[in-house]
Amino acid sequence: MEMHTLEQREQRGSGRTAGTANAEAIIRLEHLSKIFKSRDRTVTAVDDVSFEVGHGEIFGLLGPNGAGKSTLIRILTTLLRPSSGTAYVNGHEISREPELIRSIIGVCPQNSTLDQELSAYDNLEFYGKLVDVPDNILDARIRELLASVGLTEQTNTRVSTFSGGMKRKLEIVRAFIHKPLIIFLDEPTIGLDPEARREVWDQIARLNAEETTIILTTHYMDEAEKLCDRIAFVDGGRLIALDTLENLKKVIPSGDLIEVGFERITEEVIDRIRADPHVGVVELRGKTLAIQATGGGKILPVILEYFEKAGLPVTSLSIRSPSLEDIFIYLTGKGFGGGEGKTVPILTEREAP
Amino acid sequence: MMRGAVAIFKRDFKKFLSNPIVIIMTLLMPIMYLVIFGNAIGGAIAGIPIGVAQETPYVNETPLFSASVDSLTHLAQPDKANTFSVTVFTSEATAKQALADGRVMAVAIFPSAVSNDHTIRLYVDSSDFTTPTVIEGGINGVLQKLGVQAPVQVTKLYGDVQYIQFFGVGVIVMAIFMSTMMGGGIALIRDRELGIIEGYLVTPVKRSSIILGIIGSGTVKGFLSGFIIFLVDLVVAGIVLRSAEDFVLVLVVIFVISIGLTSLVVFISSRFRDQQSFAGMNAFLSLMLFMTSGAFYPTLGMPDWLRWITTVNPEFYAVHALRTLILRGQGLGAISVDLLALGLFSGAAILLGITTFRRTLE
Repeated sequence: MEMHTLEQREQRGSGRTAGTANAEAIIRLEHLSKIFKSRDRTVTAVDDVSFEVGHGEIFGLLGPNGAGKSTLIRILTTLLRPSSGTAYVNGHEISREPELIRSIIGVCPQNSTLDQELSAYDNLEFYGKLVDVPDNILDARIRELLASVGLTEQTNTRVSTFSGGMKRKLEIVRAFIHKPLIIFLDEPTIGLDPEARREVWDQIARLNAEETTIILTTHYMDEAEKLCDRIAFVDGGRLIALDTLENLKKVIPSGDLIEVGFERITEEVIDRIRADPHVGVVELRGKTLAIQATGGGKILPVILEYFEKAGLPVTSLSIRSPSLEDIFIYLTGKGFGGGEGKTVPILTEREAP
Repeated sequence: MMRGAVAIFKRDFKKFLSNPIVIIMTLLMPIMYLVIFGNAIGGAIAGIPIGVAQETPYVNETPLFSASVDSLTHLAQPDKANTFSVTVFTSEATAKQALADGRVMAVAIFPSAVSNDHTIRLYVDSSDFTTPTVIEGGINGVLQKLGVQAPVQVTKLYGDVQYIQFFGVGVIVMAIFMSTMMGGGIALIRDRELGIIEGYLVTPVKRSSIILGIIGSGTVKGFLSGFIIFLVDLVVAGIVLRSAEDFVLVLVVIFVISIGLTSLVVFISSRFRDQQSFAGMNAFLSLMLFMTSGAFYPTLGMPDWLRWITTVNPEFYAVHALRTLILRGQGLGAISVDLLALGLFSGAAILLGITTFRRTLE
């Protein structure tokens, strides 16, 4: 019953003009840098980042752990001052007018900051007072928000009894209690099960439908694909790419990704596939051969023929459009999982990025 | 089975060794207890301020009077400081005034003529613990040594004060300290660890509002716990308040020490990053302040170095003020020094608390 909102979003997202932000940018970063200095080392968490976020966008900041996403968010939410460069939020400069910025943003941090001992109502009431929601509309607003996330029955229940998904939804609407122009969501679905994630996504989409600009950081590719109008890839503190999903997919020189599973393989077969003019990058990932190719549908039989001729049985076969993860791997030459993920050796790069 | 046990053993030990403050506290605390507890309690009480005067009609100093003053002045336990610090008053009235003001803890009034039916009157400040007994013993000892047969008539100025009443008043201050440390400080550090305080900073709420709210709630919590123990004292220890003014003043003292201790806790918790270190510091401070506050045992029985701590210990002034009000039934005049000291302490603590906490918000 809640799916329609997401679908509507997807239609709207694909209709968007690619590349640039809307004419009226609500956030503008200009050569923003943040350097942390301690006694023995200096870390550049954000390195000369400039971009704009349009009014009403869902803007995704993607990157592995330690890429600088959280530092960027902390600067934009006035918690940190940049080392150099500046940023404007709704026209207010972040260092000069932090108070004005704080009254038009809502922030939902990565770690829950709900008061576990208090009820859902009390949590919202407390936050509503912090963000100056007038007393005469606060009660109605709280009940409306609780209803919107299906927590009406839990109004006076202690938050400590809530499931992870319920807590997350409560925290997201809490950030929305004063109808801010911009909401910052730091890893909104981390640690949630698939059902809860979908509900959170739907909630985010609904908030966006109320003309709220949403900035979210995530390292889940599917989340960004599902929600974001535009996506910024951040790695090592630098902005690597920024575009709509459609355009980012075009970055990969050869359109589709073909994965062939096998028991054995020979260098000869790999070389033959590589030599095909339609094939781009070929990677060996364990017992799978990942091939980027244009015109995937036509090249598929050709690749299968190479295997057949060499007498090597194929155990599985898939063809798909490149995911954000593939794009990220292509752009950075490394996997997305940070320290935990699989490492992907790139055997060949015929077309340099 | 051993492998798992050894693994858990090693893990616990590594974690223990990684936190220097906890190590220091675990080793230091028992030693501190030994040194402070051992010295603060049960020490020989010395230098008790007492007054002596001779009855009117005052003709001449009787031989008994001068001999008694001399003996009392020089009375001492072996290897200890003199038991009494004797002040000679010219009249009974001024002596009694000094006793009422708390400048001396007892007054001995000697008759103008010596005979067996002329009593020596002894007025003792009975609100203190042990000291009245020491004074009585000392006077009787001196008279016996001088071979005087005259009877001694003892008047306990504030009636019979039980130890539970003496101690109960001190516990009020302890309750305030406990609630501010446990309820206030630990919660504050936890909120910071969880990022809840940081969450305030992205809202339009003013920095000063955050500080005001935190110190305000801590003060009320401290006040309530102090007040509840005060009520318990009324019921369990049987203390009696003599006037409405005293009741109001008790509330004022509880309030001033509550806001001071709360601000002190805000200051300390702003300097500590984790709960364990803070808990260690908490145990140390509560021992230090409470032991030297005179809540357990008269500060006169403490060695000089501990009494130095006493003079800068806000809890000492709070305990003294509450005893003056509750056990002695005296009013504002008698606690003005205590109130001044508490006011200075609370003012300084509020300033320290605000500036250090503010720094954690940057």
